[in-house]
Amino acid sequence: MVHSELSRRGLLAGIGGLGAAALLGGCATSSSDSGSGSSATLTLQSSLSDPSPKAALTKVVEGYTKTKVTLNTIAIESFRAQLPTYLNSATPPDVLTWYAGSVARDYASKGFLLDVSDLWTGSGACAGFSPALKELSTGADGKQIFVPTNYYWWGMFYRKSAFQEWGVRPATTWDEFIALCKAIKAKGVAPLTMGTGSTPWVASGWFDYLDLRVNGAQFHRDLLAGKHSFDGPEVKAVMEHYRELLPYIDPKGRSYSWQDAVTPLASKKAGMYLIGAFITQSVPKDVVDDIDFFRVPIIDPSVPVAEEAPTDGYFASARSKNVAGAKELLSYLASAPAQEEFIKLSASSNLPTSPRVSTAGFSPLVQKGIKLLNESAAITQFFNRDSSDELQSTADTALTKFLDSPADVDSILAGWQSAAQKVLNS
Amino acid sequence: MTVAAASRRRRHISPVVWLFLLVPAAVEVGLVFWPAVNSFYLSLTKWNGLGAPENVGLRNYRDMFSDGVFREALGNNVIWAVGFGGLSVAGGLALAVALNKPRRGVGVYRSAIYLPMVFSLAVTGLFWRVQYQPDGTVNTLLGAVGLESLERQWLADPKTALYAVLVAAVWRQVGYVMVLYLAGLKGTDPSLDDASAVDGAGPWQRFWYVTWPQLRGVNTVVFAVTVIDSLRTFDIVWAMTQGGPYHSSELLSTYMFQQGFTFLNLGYASAIAVVIFALALLFIITYLVRTLKEEVS
Repeated sequence: MVHSELSRRGLLAGIGGLGAAALLGGCATSSSDSGSGSSATLTLQSSLSDPSPKAALTKVVEGYTKTKVTLNTIAIESFRAQLPTYLNSATPPDVLTWYAGSVARDYASKGFLLDVSDLWTGSGACAGFSPALKELSTGADGKQIFVPTNYYWWGMFYRKSAFQEWGVRPATTWDEFIALCKAIKAKGVAPLTMGTGSTPWVASGWFDYLDLRVNGAQFHRDLLAGKHSFDGPEVKAVMEHYRELLPYIDPKGRSYSWQDAVTPLASKKAGMYLIGAFITQSVPKDVVDDIDFFRVPIIDPSVPVAEEAPTDGYFASARSKNVAGAKELLSYLASAPAQEEFIKLSASSNLPTSPRVSTAGFSPLVQKGIKLLNESAAITQFFNRDSSDELQSTADTALTKFLDSPADVDSILAGWQSAAQKVLNS
Repeated sequence: MTVAAASRRRRHISPVVWLFLLVPAAVEVGLVFWPAVNSFYLSLTKWNGLGAPENVGLRNYRDMFSDGVFREALGNNVIWAVGFGGLSVAGGLALAVALNKPRRGVGVYRSAIYLPMVFSLAVTGLFWRVQYQPDGTVNTLLGAVGLESLERQWLADPKTALYAVLVAAVWRQVGYVMVLYLAGLKGTDPSLDDASAVDGAGPWQRFWYVTWPQLRGVNTVVFAVTVIDSLRTFDIVWAMTQGGPYHSSELLSTYMFQQGFTFLNLGYASAIAVVIFALALLFIITYLVRTLKEEVS
C-alpha cells in the first residue's frame, strides 16, 4: 500500500517534471524561432493550388537565392476564407498572392498591407508598368500596396472541333447566342457548363458580363461600390437575361467546382464555358490546341464594350518582420525573367504585366486574348476584385439561389440588397 | 483516528507537489479558461481583431434574432442534434446488441463498423462528397435498382444537403456509439438475462426490462458525448458543403467560423460561440440533474 502510494507519487512527479521540461523546451524553441527567423527566412503564402501554377511558382521561388523563402501553398478556397486571418495574425506571412483592385484596397484600408510605393518609382521593379496597372495597385490613400505580375481575360471558351461537328459558329449578338445554345441543345449536349458547387463565385462571371453588356462598366463599378441598389430596375434587367440562359446551363454544374465543370467541355458533353483564360491549365494536354474562345455576345450595341481582365500578383503584410526582404522578394517576382518563367511553366494563358516581356512567342490563343482586351473600351476585374471578398459571398448566396429558383428573383434581389448593405455599412 | 490520519497525510504533501500542480493549473487557466472568459467579453463588442474592441453592449445578441441565417443555423442545429443523436444512438445500440454475443467472425464486423471512426471528419467528408456527385455511387445505385426518380444532386439541393451530410456523420459516429454500448453490455449481468429467459420473457422484454436498465451509466456517457459532438460538428459540414448551398446546411459552428474568420466580425462570432456554449451546458446540466435525481430516488 505504502509502496504503491510512493510509486504513484513518483510517477506523478515524473510526469510533472517531464511536462515542465517540455514546456520550458517549447518556450526556448519558440523564442529562438522568432528571434532568428525574422531576418533569415521569408514566408510566401500562395493560393496557387492548381498543379501547374503551383509547380511554376515553386520553380520561380527556387530561383531566388538572396534569402531563404518558405513557400506555403494553400488550397485556394481555404486561402480565400482565411486571408483576413493570415493578415491579422501576430506573425503574418511576409508576402502573399492575391488580386489587384478594390479587394486589395479593402485590405489596405484595414491597415493590413505594406506600402510598396518605392517599387513603383525610379528604378523600382514596377516603375515601367502601365498607368492602368498602377492605378489598380493604388490604395485609397494614394500609396501603392500591390505588385501585379500577370493578368488574363475572360471569354466564351469552346472546342473548335466540337463546333465543327455540330455545324455551329460563334455568336456575336444576344439573339445569335440564344440560337446557338438552342442548336447545341438540339444535339443532346448541354450548351453551357458552369461549376458553381464548391466554387459558387463562378456564377458571378455571367452576372458581371450581363451587367457590363446591359448597363455598362461605369454602372457596374458603381453598383459594386454600393452606389446603386441590387434590387433596382437595372439589375432586374440583368437577371432577365440571366434567366434566358438557365435552360441551357448544365444542371450538374451545381455539384461541380469550376475545374470539374471543364471535364464536360473537354469531352464534348458541354458546348461552352464562360470562364477566365486560366481554363487552359485544366484542359488535357491533347485538347489545349483545340480550345478557342469568342467575345461574350453584345446585348446593347450602344453600350461601350467592356471586358473582364483580372490582375494577379502579390502584396506584403504590413506586419512583416523583414520589410526589406519582402520588398526584394516582390521585386524579384515582378521582374521580367521571373514573370516570363512563371507564365511559361504554369500552362495558363496569362499575360505579363512587365512591358519588357515579349509576347511574340505566345500561343495564337493568347494573341487573340491580347487583341480582345485592346479592342475593348473599358476593363473591369471580377466581382470580388471590384468590391470585396465579403460582398462576393452575398453574390454567391443570391446567384446560386437564383439558379435554383429563378421565379423568386424579386425576393432574392431584395435579400441580396439588404445583405450587401450590411457588408458595405460595416 | 481518521482526523489524525488525514491531517498527518496532509502534512506529507511537499511544496514540490503543489508547484507541479500549479504549473498545469496555470496552463489550463491561461490557455483554456482565460480565452473562454474573453469570448464572453468579446461577444459584447465590435472587433475586427485589429485595435481596441468597441463596446456595443448586447447589440450582437439583438442582431442575432433579426439575422435570418442565424435562425436557419439554429434550426439546422436542432435537426442535427435530433438526427445525429437519434440515429447514431439507435444504430449504435442495435449494432452493439446484434454483435454482443461471441460468434465466428463477429470481430471482423465490429472492426469494420468501427473503422470509419479512424478517419478524420475531413476525410469522411471528402469521401462522401465523391459518393454524392451527380454521377457518383449513390445516384448510380439508385439508377441500377430502378429508382431514377430519387436521383438528385444531394449536396447541391438545399432540401437534401443537410441530411446528406447527416448520413455521412452518422455513418462515422455509429461505430463509436456501438463500442461504448458493447462495453456497457459487457458490464451487464448475464445470469439476469438467462433467468428472465427461463421465466419465459421474450427477447424484446429481456432487452427492455432487464438489459436496458443496466445500461444507465453508459447512457449518460453516450448522451453527453452525442450532445457535445453534435454541437461542435464543424469539419464534416465544412468539407462537404461549407454550409451551402446558400446557408441551407449552415450550423451554428460553421456560421460562427464564417463570421469570425472569414469576415472578421469577431464580436458577433463570439456571441454565437456563447450561444453554442449555453446550449451545450443547458442540455448536459438538465440531463445530469435528471439522472442524478433518478439515482437518488
